[in-house]
Amino acid sequence: MTTKKKRSPHTATDSWVVIAADSALETEKPQNGDPTFVKLKNPATGATSQYLFSSGDERVYEVKAFNEEYRSWFIGQMVQRDGRLLYVTPVDPVFLVLPYLQSGEVEGKFQPLQQVVMDEDYPACTRLLKCKQALESVHHVADEKEVSSQKFHRYNQEKTLEWLKKKVENTVTALKKTDIAVGGAVKSTTYVRVKQESDATEEDYLRYAHGLISEYISEELSKDLHKHLQLPEISSPKVEPPSKKRKLSDKPVEAGEDYTKFNSSDFARKAPKKMTAAQKSLAKVDKSGMKSMSAFFSPKVKQEKN
Amino acid sequence: MSVNGCVTTVQLGSLSQADKSQLHLLPCEIEHDGPAEISRFFTPTVKEQKCEKTVSFRGRGLKGQEVSCPQGYTGLVLKEVQRPSSDQEDRIVKVSSVFQNFVYWNLETLPTSDDGVVKAMAWPSLAEMIHAPVD
Repeated sequence: MTTKKKRSPHTATDSWVVIAADSALETEKPQNGDPTFVKLKNPATGATSQYLFSSGDERVYEVKAFNEEYRSWFIGQMVQRDGRLLYVTPVDPVFLVLPYLQSGEVEGKFQPLQQVVMDEDYPACTRLLKCKQALESVHHVADEKEVSSQKFHRYNQEKTLEWLKKKVENTVTALKKTDIAVGGAVKSTTYVRVKQESDATEEDYLRYAHGLISEYISEELSKDLHKHLQLPEISSPKVEPPSKKRKLSDKPVEAGEDYTKFNSSDFARKAPKKMTAAQKSLAKVDKSGMKSMSAFFSPKVKQEKN
Repeated sequence: MSVNGCVTTVQLGSLSQADKSQLHLLPCEIEHDGPAEISRFFTPTVKEQKCEKTVSFRGRGLKGQEVSCPQGYTGLVLKEVQRPSSDQEDRIVKVSSVFQNFVYWNLETLPTSDDGVVKAMAWPSLAEMIHAPVD
């Protein structure tokens, strides 16, 4: 091994490479203003994550970083040291509203959403109630009552689990149309896999989709969903090969670029109990804490050898 | 106001003036932010055969491939208009470049569809299906 040259500390970044959904950049009415990046509470981790509201808060998007070690950009005639690639993709606002509904449920009362979805730590959360998809879909997770044209809601766990189950099923259907490998088996490293392995079982798909959805709900709800899907517990879960090089984290366009602060919230995510020892060590290495995303991007161990 | 209350506005008006730069994702960390003579020393040495590209960079042979943004997605380089003096301030970014594809470079290894960057391009369609409304 050659001795590693010590890398100089990062200075504040003022430029980001982003791949964004076109819908996030649409302005239906100019008076609604520009899209804005905001910080909201991540529904899975409870930590701070970066999101984007489109113009007029019509839709909400999450921001994830594809982050390989030792990458930098050339942009025209400029060098950008930060080699991350940020993705701005749609997120179902119901996921973000759900924790507030759940914590409002303690009293068992019907309440107006405006009284439930508020958070002095994350003031932007009230903007979720302007998202079309939030208002149209909140009945999937809550009972609704209308009194003199004002709507009241109360969290409903059974409805929520049914809704999540449908999400999982829709995701399975969509996954089958892609060539994403959902099986746990490590494939050959010498040739390029073109098609998904045909030996992926229905259960593989369900587990994979459950893992994807679990990135957006609390650990407790994820366990309840696991039961609701009647997924058998596995004694020795298939180990997702850890990849040191690839990670997607979800706090990219960070103010101040204080990298210590940056990572602390990543670490805030508790390792789910179902993780194997290997996954736990992965969780430590992988600052992103995006378990199933890292699985998605690293189905192979080969990279380590090359 | 709490730090989490700060927002970063994307000035969409800048989109029409954004330039169309060529982007390269390099397999090394360059400890520099700022101008470099890329079109003089890097771009001219790129060789192309079919869809595979090679270039010599600092004596290392890089192998590269072009990747496109997924359908319905656009690549943007966002640049901060003014550095904030504290982390309790709203910020503004403008779109300085737009792109529909870029070249990523591997160190020595041939680019394949198993490369992380290529796989990452599947994330948007996966995200769309996870977050689509349920009827």
